Amino acid sequence: MTTAGEALTLNLLLLALGGFGVGAVGAVLAACRPGVSRWVGHAGALLGAIAAFALGVAGLAGGTLDVTIPALLPVGGFSLGMDRLSAFFVLVIATAAIPSAIYAIAYTHAYEGRSSLAGMGLAFNVFLAGMMLVALACNVLTFLVMWETMSLASYFLVMTEAEHRETQYAGWLYLVTTHAGFACLLIGFLLMAHGTGTMNLGEWRAASAALSDPVHHTVFVLLALGFGTKAGVVPLHIWLPKAHPAAPSHVSAMMSGVMIKLGVYGLIRIGFDWLGVGASWWGGAVLVVAAMSAVLGVLYALVEQDLKCLLAYSSVENIGIILLGVGAGMLFQSYHLDALASLALVASLYHTLNHAVFKPLLFMGAGAVVHATGTRNMEEMGGLIKRMPQTAACFLVGSIAIAALPPFNGFLSEWLLFQSLLLSFQIPVTGINLLFALSIAALALTGGLAAACFVKAFGISFLALPRSEQATQAKETPRMMRGTMAMSAVACLALGVAPVGLLSLLNGTAADLTGTFADARVNWHEIVINDAFAFVSPLWIAAALASLLALAPLALRIIGAKTGRRAFETWGCGRALQTSRFEYTGTAFANPFKRVFGLLYRPVKELDIQFHPESRLFVETIAYRNETRSIFEETLYGPISRLVRRSAQRARIVQSGNVHLYLMYIFVALVVLLVLAR
Amino acid sequence: MLALLRKIRTTSVVTEPLVAADDDRQIETMARQLDERARRLFGRSLHIREVDAGSCNGCELEIGALNNPYYDLERFGMHFVASPRHADCLLVTGPVTRNMADPLRRTYDATPDPKIVVAVGDCARDCGIFAGGYGVVGPVSAIVPVDVVVDGCPPTPAMILAGILAALGRRGGPQHV
Repeated sequence: MTTAGEALTLNLLLLALGGFGVGAVGAVLAACRPGVSRWVGHAGALLGAIAAFALGVAGLAGGTLDVTIPALLPVGGFSLGMDRLSAFFVLVIATAAIPSAIYAIAYTHAYEGRSSLAGMGLAFNVFLAGMMLVALACNVLTFLVMWETMSLASYFLVMTEAEHRETQYAGWLYLVTTHAGFACLLIGFLLMAHGTGTMNLGEWRAASAALSDPVHHTVFVLLALGFGTKAGVVPLHIWLPKAHPAAPSHVSAMMSGVMIKLGVYGLIRIGFDWLGVGASWWGGAVLVVAAMSAVLGVLYALVEQDLKCLLAYSSVENIGIILLGVGAGMLFQSYHLDALASLALVASLYHTLNHAVFKPLLFMGAGAVVHATGTRNMEEMGGLIKRMPQTAACFLVGSIAIAALPPFNGFLSEWLLFQSLLLSFQIPVTGINLLFALSIAALALTGGLAAACFVKAFGISFLALPRSEQATQAKETPRMMRGTMAMSAVACLALGVAPVGLLSLLNGTAADLTGTFADARVNWHEIVINDAFAFVSPLWIAAALASLLALAPLALRIIGAKTGRRAFETWGCGRALQTSRFEYTGTAFANPFKRVFGLLYRPVKELDIQFHPESRLFVETIAYRNETRSIFEETLYGPISRLVRRSAQRARIVQSGNVHLYLMYIFVALVVLLVLAR
Repeated sequence: MLALLRKIRTTSVVTEPLVAADDDRQIETMARQLDERARRLFGRSLHIREVDAGSCNGCELEIGALNNPYYDLERFGMHFVASPRHADCLLVTGPVTRNMADPLRRTYDATPDPKIVVAVGDCARDCGIFAGGYGVVGPVSAIVPVDVVVDGCPPTPAMILAGILAALGRRGGPQHV
């Protein structure tokens, strides 16, 4: 028996899967015609994404879904269901997938003849379908299988340019860390299934009360580690800034914009749903890790010269911001402040959606720039605003949004998050209040550093004179790519100015998890939090900014400024020669931060001066390097990888390559088993 | 700390009393006139960029004196600025040397219109004792159009001020010197 609503969602699900299926199969069938293959593959993905978007909207509006195909998987079958949280994440996936798929049609043109477009189309569609089904999975096995599908598909996408050595390393690192995380998830899920006696995720919440404390805590830690690895929280983030930039830009957009959000999805599930109400240290731990991710993520982004790598680190930062809301919500919940927990969740869900809009936009912009200049190094760009004005405008919108400045969407979600953190004074425990105060400070610091980071990203890449021959000859990207970027930019503005309906839907989603609605009154012109504790009016802010922009020329005329224009070279103190080498570099921009946070970056400075053989007064060459070292790779992962390598060396003793020995192993194993299973 | 406090307590005022000279009053009237004319001409106070085109720095000392507490040109709304982009007036000193000829031209080009150029000192007028030197290109007027020349080696601050005033007068209406 299905109601009309369920029939609709089921049809949408089938349409979405059909779209992805057509894309995947079509891309493979057209393998010998790369041009057709990329069109079919990504058009299928687009169709699927649009259907998924509709499915998400239907789910948020209250639609449900219940599909079980027992024959497809053992232990409970292939089982899908949808509550509002699942629906929201499906919506997030689709929001990022729609522009990415359109962008990919034009973007993958550059890969014709270099990589297999059939493989890319197949992996991209499987990746999207896998992500959607992770959010919809209803039992343990479905979840884990889809999780692995998503991870493997994205691994193949990362390896698109496998001929580069750094891509191979990135892919290897990604594969290892994602499977370490998967192992944690597997153990955690099995422990949980064993403790509760059910594989059905929907029944865990009620059954979790029966768990003993040690099991409960162990499950939380294991699942948090597993989901945290996928989300890329510090210190489990090391794969992220390597793997995301290595992938093609539309895939980076999906990985950074959406895939890591499924880690957030998992963390919200374990914090609010599957494990029931947990200990208060859970929320505290999430809050601390989140604050660390936010600050360290943006600090590492700030010193990065690789544009896509910078964006990847900025994803670590944004995951930190999102998890601040999740951690705060968990803490509120453990002190029975359910309305505040809902508010924190609304903020973090809203930022999840916003990040899924502006991060793909920035990655698409970066992809356009990398495509035009042939390099990811910012120090070889510059002057692109003249050559690619529309791409520059879109990238600027994304930068402002991600720096959380009005009137774009990042501002509003971070504002909500600030309010929910500020309301923590209602918790009557001093230690917790202190923790919240520190996380507010961390969020504020993150905001400032993010602004600096994107001033650098935009300024060094797009402004001033071109720093290389390729940058001089850069051309504007194809119209299709610009169109999708413009679409995302408009979405950034819309979400930042008029989020009316959306916020109530998010409030409903949060209320499903915490049991109470957040005290937020939302109407077309203002948002009022907690009975006039705080209010903001995105519409009036936008109107004020727009009118200031319009008034500036008028004011200049009133004070009698001359409006005539004169084109003349940039003033360079009368220098005869003025080249791009005189420009402010990204390294120079980041240097003050490197000094202030020297403890963290531990910069290595190398100054190598070659003097003229005749006299030390004349310099032949100067080489200056100022690199940062990753504190985590050196002190945390270095010892671990050495340990693994050493034990692997030891284990090699048993592997002699001698067939007779292997036969003996089998024989011994057989005898042992027979004795044991007697 | 205590020693310092004792020193402050025991030491009387050691600065000399200010004697109002005729010169001083003259400067003040001149500066006020200048400011008023600049406002009429540029719509705001006068911004000056100094260019050393190869001077012995004698003139720079006198120009620098315009900013000292005695003359304190800033009180009349006249500012020395760090870029020709912000300037209305260029004060050029010295014979123009080979290395400075091009930068001087660029500085002149970079200054927004309307602009005035005051050549300060004998060297700026006709290369002074450096005339004919191998490194000297010529007087300032050989490189950029000059509005007024201030004589003197070096000219006094009052003379420099009079020069700027004269230059403004040439642009802004009948000339009064």
